[in-house]
Amino acid sequence: MTNEKKYIKTSTIADAISEAIKNSNSFRFVAGGTDIFPNKFQENDTSDCFIDIADIEELKQITYTKDYLNIGALTTLETLKNNEFIAQNFPTLLEAANSVASPVIRKSATLGGNLLCENRCHFYNQSAWWRQAAGHCLKCGGDICLANGGKKYCFSKFVSDTAIALISFNAKIEIVSPEKTEFLYLEEIYSGDGIQHLLLEKSSIIKSIQIPLNIIYKSVFKKLQQRKSLEFSSLTTCITVFKDNKIKIVAGAIAPKPIFVVGALKDDFSELITSIAKNSKIVENDSYSRVYRKNMIRVLLNRSIKEIQLTEK
Amino acid sequence: MKQISLNINNKFYNILVDEHELLSNVIREKIGLTGTKIGCEQGSCGACTVLVNNKAVLSCITPAISCDKAEITTIEALAENGKLHKLQKKFVEKGAIQCGFCTPGMVMTAINLVPELNKNDSPEKLRQQIKEGISGNLCRCTGYKKIIDAIVEYTLDESYKQEDSKFNSIKKLKTVGIPRPYIEAESKVKGEAEFADDIYIKNSLHCKFLRSIYPHAEIIEIDTSEAYKIKGVRYIAIGNELPITFGVLPISQDENAIAIKKVRYVGEIVAAVAADTEEIAAKACQLIKVKYNPIKEFLTIDESLADAGENEKIHEYGKFNNNIQKKAELRFGDQQQGFKDSEITSRMSFEFEGINHGFTEPHASTAFWDENGLTINTATQVPHYLHRALAKVLEVPLSRVRVIKPYIGGGFGGKSDPFAHEIIVAYLSRKTGKPVKVRLSREEVFLTNHGRHPTKMTVEMGFSNDGIIQALDADVAIDGGAYGSFGVVTTYYNGVLLQAPYKLSNFGFRTYRVYTNKPQCGAMRGHGAVNSRFAVESIIDEISYKIKIDPCELRMKNFLDSNTLTVGQYRITSNGSRESLQKVMDLSDWKNRFGKLEKGHGLGVACGFFISGSALPIFWNELPQSVVHLKLDFDGRVLISSGSSDIGQGSDTMLAIIVSEVLGISMENIFVLAGDTLLTPVDFGSYSSRVTFMAGNAAKDATENLKKEIIASVANQKHAIGKELNFENDRIFTNDKSVDLSWMEAVEILTAKRGAVSVSGKYISPKLGGDFKGAGAGLSPSYSFGACVTEVKVDLETGQVDVINIWGAHDCGKAINPLAVEGQLEGSWHMGMGQAVSEQMKYYKGLLLNNNFLDYKIPTSLDTPDINSNIIETMDPEGPFGAKESGEGAIHPVIPAIANAVYNAVGVRITKLPICAEDILTKISQNDLLNNKIIQ
Ligand SMILES: Cc1cc2nc3c(=O)[nH]c(=O)nc-3n(C[C@H](O)[C@H](O)[C@H](O)COP(=O)(O)OP(=O)(O)OC[C@H]3O[C@@H](n4cnc5c(N)ncnc54)[C@H](O)[C@@H]3O)c2cc1C
Ligand code: SF4
Ligand code: FES
Ligand code: FES
Repeated sequence: MTNEKKYIKTSTIADAISEAIKNSNSFRFVAGGTDIFPNKFQENDTSDCFIDIADIEELKQITYTKDYLNIGALTTLETLKNNEFIAQNFPTLLEAANSVASPVIRKSATLGGNLLCENRCHFYNQSAWWRQAAGHCLKCGGDICLANGGKKYCFSKFVSDTAIALISFNAKIEIVSPEKTEFLYLEEIYSGDGIQHLLLEKSSIIKSIQIPLNIIYKSVFKKLQQRKSLEFSSLTTCITVFKDNKIKIVAGAIAPKPIFVVGALKDDFSELITSIAKNSKIVENDSYSRVYRKNMIRVLLNRSIKEIQLTEK
Repeated sequence: MKQISLNINNKFYNILVDEHELLSNVIREKIGLTGTKIGCEQGSCGACTVLVNNKAVLSCITPAISCDKAEITTIEALAENGKLHKLQKKFVEKGAIQCGFCTPGMVMTAINLVPELNKNDSPEKLRQQIKEGISGNLCRCTGYKKIIDAIVEYTLDESYKQEDSKFNSIKKLKTVGIPRPYIEAESKVKGEAEFADDIYIKNSLHCKFLRSIYPHAEIIEIDTSEAYKIKGVRYIAIGNELPITFGVLPISQDENAIAIKKVRYVGEIVAAVAADTEEIAAKACQLIKVKYNPIKEFLTIDESLADAGENEKIHEYGKFNNNIQKKAELRFGDQQQGFKDSEITSRMSFEFEGINHGFTEPHASTAFWDENGLTINTATQVPHYLHRALAKVLEVPLSRVRVIKPYIGGGFGGKSDPFAHEIIVAYLSRKTGKPVKVRLSREEVFLTNHGRHPTKMTVEMGFSNDGIIQALDADVAIDGGAYGSFGVVTTYYNGVLLQAPYKLSNFGFRTYRVYTNKPQCGAMRGHGAVNSRFAVESIIDEISYKIKIDPCELRMKNFLDSNTLTVGQYRITSNGSRESLQKVMDLSDWKNRFGKLEKGHGLGVACGFFISGSALPIFWNELPQSVVHLKLDFDGRVLISSGSSDIGQGSDTMLAIIVSEVLGISMENIFVLAGDTLLTPVDFGSYSSRVTFMAGNAAKDATENLKKEIIASVANQKHAIGKELNFENDRIFTNDKSVDLSWMEAVEILTAKRGAVSVSGKYISPKLGGDFKGAGAGLSPSYSFGACVTEVKVDLETGQVDVINIWGAHDCGKAINPLAVEGQLEGSWHMGMGQAVSEQMKYYKGLLLNNNFLDYKIPTSLDTPDINSNIIETMDPEGPFGAKESGEGAIHPVIPAIANAVYNAVGVRITKLPICAEDILTKISQNDLLNNKIIQ
């Protein structure tokens, strides 16, 4: 059953996609690899073929026009930090990026990889031996969810921190697939199914992230974590208030996909939060309890809105 | 396989790698650059950090092929022509290196970080930048402070006032009490020091284990036939091949190297494979088929207290009809009367989760046999007990077992038992005739555990209104996991180690230890007394608010004096409790700040004490507790041989300092050979904080014997009076200089017509204690004392606790090496903080959920405040130069001090560890104290 193991380095998007098609049985694109290789160590990632896209220059540009900022998917989280333009226009994106993993990891970790990093769960991010001992759950081929006993849905948590910020900015991603190049709102690529949390076609490449310019009034990012570093999120939130008085609230790590709500500044803020909490699907699969995480949604969001109002004054 | 070319440290390699091979493996196993360490293999500890094209990366999650044609820099490249890089030098000087296992990764991270720092920031901000920058690199020994100091000084380089006086003096003065880097610090910072996994013995086979997936089950059948079919599998061992049991304590030899007939926890070894490579061995493990018949499992203390059916008991032996392993009870004075006399009492129940040592170096061992019998290189704190266990289980004479302790990447008690994996590789090596090596994954390290016991206890204390303790009673249950380990001692310690630092006349306890179907618990820093100390210090705090006496003052009122006996007849000699407490009160500005902080912001205090070595040996015998040999030869070098184990605490350096002090010679003339049971005399090893006191005294004794020899021969030759000879500055002279010899001249006189001189010294503890049953528990020739004040901020909406300050003071008698003592203290306080706020072993149906460094939450540099450490010196009458322990006792006060600070901040009494944000929040909402703003 052992298939040939491969590691292929590519230098153009076209190359990468054609290798993907050639190895369609079992492959994965590797950007920084910081999400993939820990998962591979635990044998959750069993791809035979890794297609390394880290040298593709087309994926590394940061450019902007009058209306958009375009960040190449391979931009590392650290590079983001050093970009003046981003620091000025999207400080919350930097906050989000800086909350990921650790400084050394952020030197390799890419923005694209962060958006696509695998969902997590206490019962899933374990060694093969552990998962065998526990009895496999839905996400690794078993027939029951260990977190809540259900037989149908996996509620592994969505952990990308930058995605939460980007979605709140109404960012889009540029997807190159064998057939076409398209722009989708970032939130559109997440399925909500914890087992297969992405709707992307596997052989497609994220080329860039496109953020609209000059429409944001203010945004606030928060992440609930136990330690101050080396922590995946237990709850990530970002609120963005737009110049047209619209407001977008996004929350992560409380469901298999980001949860968001769009409203207007004049709306009852409490109701907006309620809608987020209602749509959350938190199970006992994190170092913080389900109830606590749920309660914290309101706390973090209230705090965020207060910060926005404060600057308003 | 694929050929890649790498430029590693400016040397070019064309090398064949597996397609999915990781860079760490290539660097360590293929190139042999073992300075790069492996601590977790999952990107969550930083030990494996190297530079790829001048960018720091974690080599354990970086595929090698992705680095094709890249320039790679590892720790080995930093020193040029053998000369330390300036940053390395700072690490050495500042004492940033203890066990040294995190050091290479830390240095590589820092080297990459420094150019990115904004050097114009204020000193505090610069520190913060550095804390942030190294926050993915875990260190379990140092509390990060000295590491950050080193990086700060390097960053500011010339512009910073270099070495503060401390270190300038090193070169001139060579004596006890001078802060000094470890003698091996350079080889650690260069990545040259070899840890157990760095040692490769030619032709070694590799061992992997098949581990139980049931917490409690009968083993019906093990079928190894499929596994044997794999090419490269050399031997598969199963339990009944090693029928003799072992354990660290003679009274609980309840463990088999490989499970026989039944398994008692998820993770227990069921079969062991020796194969040509690790991959083959791992694959073979997957093909071994085991049939189990599950038995009812016992996972909590309560479950194990209940009666069990005969076939359900975890261990068959034992007089109880349940899973209680050991009960201990001692009563002193008249507790009933004491409580009657009390005007105020408080009775509280506490729960503590299990804690793991979290040393950064995973266990590893290599064993081989030759004409001298068995040799094993292994990460152990106690070569001597392993020596005994190997001889026993493998049925070989003691004289045919050699245990060698290489550099050890931290122990904290977690490497002090003889371990199954050590016995197994020794056995597999005998079976296959080849060296056999094993290294455990981080998950396996967690499963091996032997950490702090999960504990439940109820403690009651009575006070008179003037704040004097009238009575103390404790009822403690500890969850031992599947085997005995040090547990019987732990059981006693939870009770007996409450009899100081406060005067008690009426005191008693009942403690028991149960077996459960989980990885076994054992000794961990502060052994046995950490949790019960927490309880007592919390109750004292509670009472202080009730009777409105400042908690510091209340403690001051109750301290034992020096030179006294405790109620259970511990002999207290030096006692720096008062000085310690006063110190942290002063530094924290306690008087002015306590009770005056705003809501959510609090100060807390606690005290503690600990043994300085156990006066009784574990194996009853008449050997001295420690023996040290010295050999002085024609070259002027004194060779110290000692069986003690330096595990990063600096004991080798301590021995050298003592010899240097007594002989007045420089450290360059001294060489330490330690932890090798063939070459070094027996020492009981590094546990119970015994090394400085016992091995230190033995070294001093030996050196004095050597000095006598030198005096005799010099006096004889020079017709001088022996008593008038001084030993100082590498010279031996009389005050009138009628004799004035260099060290070498004296050595020539000594060795003339005689050759090398060998002498021996020993330490035997004085007879101590009462003659009641249990009187021996916790007896020590000396005790350390200490205090902590901590400052916390509690987020009133999330319940999260931020420890923003720790002031600690610890009476270590005399700091033989203040730099090392500070390091021990800072490490203890950091580790205690972990237990207080974030660490715990969490189980799901007997399976350890958080078996990695991402989910087992050791505080990072960003979580750790700049610890303010203070050494209190009281000159112990029996310690070497007045010294006593500093490696464990300091952890006791910090944990309750944090909890008490939380109480001060939000009026929530912490009765469960780790402190849980959610609980705090719930209690805050129910709490009137807080809403009416707290106390006092
Ligand atoms: C200790 C530790 C802590 C961590 N903490 C956090 C955290 O707090 N928050 C967090 O979000 N993450 C965390 N991570 C996960 C990970 O480091 C980050 O998500 C990182 O940003 C992933 O980026 P990468 O480039 O390394 O992705 P990779 O591992 O290379 O890839 C991740 C996924 O994205 C796909 N992919 C990557 N780029 C593209 C592209 N351009 N087109 C198509 N597919 C692509 C890959 O095929 C893969 O499926 C942590 C990891 C570790 C080891
Ligand atoms: S949520 Fe349930 S199904 Fe999904 S990974 Fe966790 S345990 Fe498995
Ligand atoms: S070994 Fe690589 S980060 Fe721990
Ligand atoms: S010195 Fe850092 S882990 Fe030991």
